[in-house]
Amino acid sequence: MKKAKLVFVLMLSALMVLGAFTLLYAGGEKEKSAGEKKAPEQIVLKCAFIGGANYEELYKSIPEFEKKTGYKVEIVFKGDGFQIDKKLKTDFAAGTVDYDVCWDHSSFFTQYIKAKGIIPLEDYFTQEELSDHIPMILNAGKKNGHLWIIPRHFDISCLHYRTDIFNNEEYKKKFKQVTGKDLEVPKTWDEFKETALGLQKILPPGMYATQFAGKEEALTGRFYEILIAEGGQFFDKNWKPAFNGPAGVKAATMLRDLYQAGAMPPGMTNFVWEDVAKNWVAGNIAMYTEWYGWYSYFQDPKSSKVAGKFDIARQPMGDAGIHSGWAGDHAFSITAASKHKKEAAELIKFLTNYDNQYREAKLGFLVTRQSVWKKIIEEAKQSGNPLDVKRLKLAQLQASEDFKTPPLVAEWLPSSDIVYPILQAIILGDKEPKAGLDEAARKVEAMMREAGYYK
Amino acid sequence: MHSQNIVLDKGAGDNKFFSESKTRLPFVLLLPSLVVMFFVVGYPMLYSFVISFTNYTLVSSGGPKFVGFKNYITLFKDPVFGRALLRTVFYMLIAVNAEFILGLLIANAMSHVIRGQGILRTIIMMPMMFAPVLVGFQFKWIFNDQVGLVNNILYEIFGHPVIIPWLIKKPLGFITILIAEIWMNTPFMVIIFLAGIMAIPTEILEASDVDGATEWQKFIHITVPSLMPFIYIAMAVRSLDIAKAYDLVSIMTGGGPAHRTELIWTYVYRLAFTSQKFALGSAMSYITVLLAVLFTYYLFRQLIRVRKVRE
Repeated sequence: MKKAKLVFVLMLSALMVLGAFTLLYAGGEKEKSAGEKKAPEQIVLKCAFIGGANYEELYKSIPEFEKKTGYKVEIVFKGDGFQIDKKLKTDFAAGTVDYDVCWDHSSFFTQYIKAKGIIPLEDYFTQEELSDHIPMILNAGKKNGHLWIIPRHFDISCLHYRTDIFNNEEYKKKFKQVTGKDLEVPKTWDEFKETALGLQKILPPGMYATQFAGKEEALTGRFYEILIAEGGQFFDKNWKPAFNGPAGVKAATMLRDLYQAGAMPPGMTNFVWEDVAKNWVAGNIAMYTEWYGWYSYFQDPKSSKVAGKFDIARQPMGDAGIHSGWAGDHAFSITAASKHKKEAAELIKFLTNYDNQYREAKLGFLVTRQSVWKKIIEEAKQSGNPLDVKRLKLAQLQASEDFKTPPLVAEWLPSSDIVYPILQAIILGDKEPKAGLDEAARKVEAMMREAGYYK
Repeated sequence: MHSQNIVLDKGAGDNKFFSESKTRLPFVLLLPSLVVMFFVVGYPMLYSFVISFTNYTLVSSGGPKFVGFKNYITLFKDPVFGRALLRTVFYMLIAVNAEFILGLLIANAMSHVIRGQGILRTIIMMPMMFAPVLVGFQFKWIFNDQVGLVNNILYEIFGHPVIIPWLIKKPLGFITILIAEIWMNTPFMVIIFLAGIMAIPTEILEASDVDGATEWQKFIHITVPSLMPFIYIAMAVRSLDIAKAYDLVSIMTGGGPAHRTELIWTYVYRLAFTSQKFALGSAMSYITVLLAVLFTYYLFRQLIRVRKVRE
């Protein structure tokens, strides 16, 4: 009996000790959080950053910052863009942010503003400090009159085409026979469609005239940039969906027609960025729009069958005379939970300074400081490959004239999530373009209404 | 042994706390794990249940507002949800039954192997050793229409490119995911059934030999009935597992294209995290959990029934 009593008492004590440890641990964690005030030399700046080989090269410079300032920098989370997005949203919602600086993106930051997770940055950066960044990209990080993100590097797409096909006399002759027109690099989306349909008739089996990433935001984004070029809008000024107008129908019809004609690989609706890049380096695609960021991979003869066999051109224009230019920039933000905001801003200034941007530019990233561009263009001239220079000049031109982020609204990704499965259904022939886009517009409108944009 | 029981009974009889109810001691012994379970399972479930009656989104700037059954009504009006739910049930039925049949046949065949059974068991278990994410990538490559193994084999056979979009076409996308699921999880059934077969008393089988029973008769009238408790447990575990299917589908098709391979959990993830509708995602999770609980309850009832019959 006494033994049983003893066991019971021991168990209760163990539970109480466990509870006490839990409380102590929670307290300790809170104490260690971003907000704790410490002596200057002990300031710890915690960061949630994007991971991956090339992205992480920048972090190798952090010891230099630590040495200069005496602060300690801890990267508490690394993941890909979508993993960080999920982490940030859940941490902001749960109030469990234990970092001062976070990775951010021009397509995502409006969500974090709505969640009150990040702060405006204009008080921490002078005009002079910001003036070197490409203005169009810097402006893409502004919302409600505030600057929320400091750009690190950006990407935009250009048309990639195979010179061994477009400059090949045999192909030119066959193309003329089939279409009655000359084989030329398309300058408009109408020409793009026509060229793709014509090329498909003369390409060998297993090769495709073109391709697009066919799911998730990748598909919505491509649709969005064609829509804008054709004179449409995703949302009107009252945030009502407007993508189901004639421009949207034209863009969706083009995607469907190209797929149904077999001018795109049949697996296209399951492709994301890696898949389209792999098809391109395998030599299976004649032309398509692609990000600049893959350039070194495409030019590496060890991994690419098209190394030295392709050229690039500005994205095609639509009926509105606008070049497509869906773009985005990786950036940094300061969390609202941080109590070292000034020091966090110092870290961001360091990570985006001239030296670090030059370091990233050498890795192939399109950085945002104009002064770095001058230097890398000069250096590219020494490479002996004219495409190295053309690529940089074209990217610079597009960054200043074509750079278009998705609508700066927290509901962009939820909208994309509604739109892309319907675009897939249109492409696969399950729905008619107009009917499909109308259905998507109704759903997006209901979602925006629920989010409080209108009654 | 007898005297030990007497001592324990005497001890318990002297104490009011333990003697008032025979059920109290087990409860006290379970208390620590119940407390832990409450914090790691009960509280989050309760919280998400409450959330499912609000308009909470991951990026809500204000606090969540109570909206009653609105989320549940929205779900029942959503055709994508209805189809995903049906598809999940269909997926579960096909996968569990296919794994059951294959598992039973392989286990029965393996039980007749006298030499090298250990090596055979290890080989059979190998698919279970891979993470579902890896299996997803492996089968995504196998069925890739451009560089995939299956289309390449077809190319070798026919001598010209055969491009079948396995992951895109209806119902091929669904079938390829099922193949991956069955490949990965049949070994689980094999191992459980093999253990069951080994536990069948040899006397019964020897008696049936004396009676002149054929192998088929022994399999149908002795092996299968003896395995019933194992079958119900294995099927209950696998059903619960498949009701949670996410990784494979997410990697292979992402539930697409155009929701063609959408299962409940790929849809929950998309709604809760990408579309930020956390409350709606919670409501959907509850409906799914409820169905899984009902299904498991049914299987366990069957298990108890079988045990009673055997007793």
